[in-house]
Amino acid sequence: MPPIEPLKAGKNAVGVKAPHTMTERLLILLSRYREASIAVVAIVLVIYFQVGSDGGFLSPQFMSVVLRDTGRLGLIAAAEVMLMITGEIDLSLSAIFSIAPYVMALMSVTWGVPLAVGAVIGVLIGVLVGAINGIITVRFRVPSLITTVGMLFFLQGIVVSIYNSQPIVAPVEQPFNAIFGQSLYQPSDALLSWHGVTAFTPFLWTVLIVLALALALNRTTFGLHTIATGSNIIGAREIGVRADRMKIYNFMIAGGCAAFAGIINTAQFTSADPQAGSPFLTLQAIAAAVIGGTSLLGGSGTVIGALIGAFVVASLNNGLVMIGAQATVSDIYLGAAIIAAMILSIQVDRLRTRRRL
Amino acid sequence: MNTQTIPPLAADAPVVLEMSNISKSFGAVTALVDVSIKLRRGEVLALVGDNGAGKSTLIKILSGFHQPDTGTIVSQGKEVRFASPRDARAQGIETVYQDLALIGDLSVFHNMFLGREYHKRILGLNLLDNRKMREQAQIYLDTLGISIPSVNSTVDLLSGGQRQCIAVARSIYSSPKILVLDEPLAALGVRESAHVLGLIQNLRQQRQVSVILIVHNYNQIFEVCDRINFLHSGEVALDASTADTSEEELIRIVKSGLGRKAIDAAAAEVRPGIV
Ligand SMILES: Nc1ncnc2c1ncn2[C@@H]1O[C@H](COP(=O)(O)OP(=O)(O)O)[C@@H](O)[C@H]1O
Ligand SMILES: [Mg+2]
Repeated sequence: MPPIEPLKAGKNAVGVKAPHTMTERLLILLSRYREASIAVVAIVLVIYFQVGSDGGFLSPQFMSVVLRDTGRLGLIAAAEVMLMITGEIDLSLSAIFSIAPYVMALMSVTWGVPLAVGAVIGVLIGVLVGAINGIITVRFRVPSLITTVGMLFFLQGIVVSIYNSQPIVAPVEQPFNAIFGQSLYQPSDALLSWHGVTAFTPFLWTVLIVLALALALNRTTFGLHTIATGSNIIGAREIGVRADRMKIYNFMIAGGCAAFAGIINTAQFTSADPQAGSPFLTLQAIAAAVIGGTSLLGGSGTVIGALIGAFVVASLNNGLVMIGAQATVSDIYLGAAIIAAMILSIQVDRLRTRRRL
Repeated sequence: MNTQTIPPLAADAPVVLEMSNISKSFGAVTALVDVSIKLRRGEVLALVGDNGAGKSTLIKILSGFHQPDTGTIVSQGKEVRFASPRDARAQGIETVYQDLALIGDLSVFHNMFLGREYHKRILGLNLLDNRKMREQAQIYLDTLGISIPSVNSTVDLLSGGQRQCIAVARSIYSSPKILVLDEPLAALGVRESAHVLGLIQNLRQQRQVSVILIVHNYNQIFEVCDRINFLHSGEVALDASTADTSEEELIRIVKSGLGRKAIDAAAAEVRPGIV
């Protein structure tokens, strides 16, 4: 096609409003460098606890606990981020976290099914529950908040009714347990030895999965269509994105992640407790996701941010107790942090949608 | 830009699209009743009508976004059934929707290639080739003479006019056979409008693209269109060539709300049995 006389819109085109107030500028900065801003918060928190605990916070023993919690929370938070980007949420993840390892342990003790096989079945159960959540949500247009609260009670009811709601002592099978969470670390071990590394296996698994999700989100068509679905679902459909499928797929991913987190938890403590995942786990994971910079409106989110957010929540939970606060006080701080993060998140969202007009 | 003279459409230009007896209701709302339109190769067809006349619904059926309750679509001589916008795009039918269908949270270049992304294999993984898409988007927008601050900026940072230009550019990137534009000039200034109309002219003359254009400005219709279909209350009330109609006449017909078909319908009421 021959060139047509160009339109000069240039850098000063109408509609690109320069931010005026300091607050607006700060919010734009925060929205652009979401992971970096939450990382700064995390570092400040670490310094505060490290000083407050006379150097105890960053000790391998204590970090092993904080990172174990970060791993558990971070995996569920990252799963929640994928869904929140599509504009959905899953409150049943804690129940999947309980039921998957419970089935694995039960099959092991009753039929002698190897843990590795049970683990695969457990993850598949999580994926299946996710698919059911997704299908109910998109086909019957039930808000996912409702679908998944229903699923939460449903699964919770099932898991406590099988086996009289007794915690099962899960058998230990090597190398399964060593690979998936059992800590062999002794204070005498070097941190970079095999035993040292096992102190952090839950966290390392989470890091691995979060990196895979980050790759999927930022570097694949799947990620692009996931963002498109949450950002403008009608527009996405008009251009041929299979928005309903994208939602269902992300529900399946979330269910699989929650199941895997539960299995790691059981491998670590060699016990499967039907009450292992309380709904608070999901709520804390959502808090971690929002603290990490994921929008409540859909269309935008970061799994890496969620992992850092999970670290912040886990640090608050453990660190405050360590520097001498009552366990109950840590909830007050956590509550305040969540509300602050929500307010910030909504301010950033407002800026986003205002620009969109 | 010179857009005054439209070279006449070749008399033997083949029909590339025929939508016949299309009806569509949304619950109690009847959007389209028995609508038929025909489009020939290299033809620019104007679709006019009041708000709510059913124009957008008709083109969303053509784009595969809606499925008609009744009626058929024949494209390039074959009957087609579009289950989704993917199917229509695969047939060379590209649509610029009234709402533009741009994703505010994605960059300009991701929007340009949404649904037909470039990939590259890295370690066996099928990853997005962002660099290629970025370059291609930049080159393409430059060729079209559309200037935006950066192809990296997210679409929600752009002005309404810029976004409209991006949506038009996206629709013609894949060299469609049929281009459907739903009020593509709504947010554009005089110069930008002339620019987009010029693009349409070029596509028509150099690539024999057939265009369905929904516009409200009758001046612009007579500048670029070969034929006009007037949609009224979900029915085609007038089908006339721009050569046989004047702007004044069109305005008179649209204002009266009575086209040829409406008059026929009135006559049919008097002589029952013909319907
Ligand atoms: N998705 C929908 N659901 C319900 N009604 C709709 C929908 N889309 C269009 N309509 C109705 O169909 C009629 C035609 O609308 P539309 O095709 O958008 O008209 P136009 O584009 O000519 O202004 C209107 O009465 C509108 O309210
Ligand atoms: Mg319309």
